[in-house]
Amino acid sequence: MPVTKVLTAGIGEADLRDIDVYRKRGGYKQLERAFKTMKPADVLEAADKSGLRGRGGAGFPTGRKWSFLPANDKPRYLVCNCDEAEPGTFKDHMLLEETPHLVLEGILLGAYGIGSHHAYIYIRGEFKRGAQIFNEAIEQARKAGFVGKNLFGSGYDLEVTVHRGAGAYICGEETALLNSLEGKRGEPRLKPPFPAVAGLYGMPTVVNNVETLAYLVPILENGAEWFAAVGTERSKGYKIISISGHVQKPGNYEVALGTPVRELIDIAGGLRQGRKLMAIQPGGGSSACIFEEHLDMPYDYESLAKAGTMLGSGAMVVMDDTTDFVRAAHNLVRFFAHESCGQCTPCREGGDWLETVLDRLVEGRGVPSDIDMLHRVGHQITGINLCPLGDSIEPFLLSVLKRFPEQFEARVIKETVSA
Amino acid sequence: MIARTENFPKLLEDLRPQCEEIIGRYEHSRSALLPLIHLFQEHEGYASSDAQRAVAQMLNLSPAVVESTVSFYTLFFRKPVGKYMLQVCRGLACSINGAENIMAYFREKLGIGHLQTTDDGVFSYEEVECLAACDRATCMQVNLEFVYDLTPQMIDEMLDAMRAGTYPVPPMAQTDAPQRTWKVVQDTQVSHGGKSIGAVDQPNPNNGSGVDKDGVIMIDRILAQEARFKGRTKERLANVEPSIKTVLEHEDLQ
Repeated sequence: MPVTKVLTAGIGEADLRDIDVYRKRGGYKQLERAFKTMKPADVLEAADKSGLRGRGGAGFPTGRKWSFLPANDKPRYLVCNCDEAEPGTFKDHMLLEETPHLVLEGILLGAYGIGSHHAYIYIRGEFKRGAQIFNEAIEQARKAGFVGKNLFGSGYDLEVTVHRGAGAYICGEETALLNSLEGKRGEPRLKPPFPAVAGLYGMPTVVNNVETLAYLVPILENGAEWFAAVGTERSKGYKIISISGHVQKPGNYEVALGTPVRELIDIAGGLRQGRKLMAIQPGGGSSACIFEEHLDMPYDYESLAKAGTMLGSGAMVVMDDTTDFVRAAHNLVRFFAHESCGQCTPCREGGDWLETVLDRLVEGRGVPSDIDMLHRVGHQITGINLCPLGDSIEPFLLSVLKRFPEQFEARVIKETVSA
Repeated sequence: MIARTENFPKLLEDLRPQCEEIIGRYEHSRSALLPLIHLFQEHEGYASSDAQRAVAQMLNLSPAVVESTVSFYTLFFRKPVGKYMLQVCRGLACSINGAENIMAYFREKLGIGHLQTTDDGVFSYEEVECLAACDRATCMQVNLEFVYDLTPQMIDEMLDAMRAGTYPVPPMAQTDAPQRTWKVVQDTQVSHGGKSIGAVDQPNPNNGSGVDKDGVIMIDRILAQEARFKGRTKERLANVEPSIKTVLEHEDLQ
């Protein structure tokens, strides 16, 4: 299965930031069709039938997420999550900067689908340029009559607001994102209530990833059946995979879900000359590693879950035999320890302690109990926090610790000075 | 250098229409907190306490609430920083592609470490988490503009151009002398191991992580202490300190 350009079509060939170029390629036709001929429920039905799952990390079915919204008269909001910060992921960055109108059309369709009159896009603070580009796209679309009051004469008003974050990985978690959007510290909320019931300003809210919303456009264009026909039984359609690390041509590649891992690595140019594959982190910094015995496994939600890891945001970091896995584990643990919001004790303290232990190991000053401690502490953090950040600390560490114990043990000092 | 306290009221008046426009974008005014701080930081180079107080007043919040929120986010600088904020990515994909060498090169060339500012006030340096540009590792941001595929030669040229004022990315506004320089304070570092060893020429009091000045590994000390508390035998009580002894004896009676 080769690369199929759906969302990525035209990137690098045409200036898709220009609304005229985008419209010449069929842009905003689906939006017009939706407003003129479809009811919001039809958009929801298309999203549901296509089998589209959230592309941000959790992989929750999009149609089902929307259907949780209670039927009441309260204002409801669509929030597009562009706080892309999962280590190894860089697809939303590309979509935002290269094809902002596709993202905007997806947001408008999504907002129409759930009956929202005000959509927000939360853009990571570091994407200052991306936010500028997106603001320009909104202004272009406003002039063309796609954003604002009485769209296509339907009487439906729809506003889109750009909100820039300010550097916090945790704001990618949907309730932390909502807090940040409300002008608060980006700390996750206790659930339930879920955002569908009480989200932004306490109103029913849907938070969807950039890529998820963008896929609404081709789904409406080609029909839900077209999308559902691709992929595997429970992983439908296409997905942009960000492949980085030790491959010759790192980049974003859009493929059908279920493409074997080996093929993905080949698409990214394969490993460097004379190097041996050691590990692949298949779904962003929060996922456990897979190894060479998994190379023929299809890359989809259920196969990865069966292998004890996850598809996550679709960020593959490939590591060859030049990788120091103690350093790699230290890198990710330090990341999570640094990004912990500090609300839950296991995550705040556990992450910090793991980092301290790994600090010692990286410097070759480990003590004999350290290896055991890594196993134990990692386990004690998982599953008892408000949000999944705490659960993300352990998987990579444990997977490489089990696979390459010798690299860790080599950093332990054999004789220690006692008190 | 501008005397910022005298100029702030004027800046505030100039920005007020823009602030009102920003507040108007949201259904609830508090949502404007982040964009307003971004706005002031763009004009002042950092999120000054004057700006924080002004934002608090505009949004009808207490200054403490604003400060608490601002302090949560790493892109808000609460101390004045240099004209060029150099933020080098230390994420996993960059790290396995040589980011550690790039960071070491920066530190050597600048003579400063993580979260520090050069004496001339031109550069502030930070090592930041994944910047979402892993296909172009190793990467960094200069005043939030991306720079990709870093090499030592590029760094040399970049720093020279910045010093000469010819670098294509405009410098940040600077309204106060930079104060952002984190130093390793000896006493606070005991339990944190090598965490703050970004600073060059700052001796690490622990000589590595969790090892104290006498060369004793802290964790061993803790474990040795733990062992003393295992079991509750009368013989062991003889070894522990008097205050603990009282407690233990009391518990034994229960």
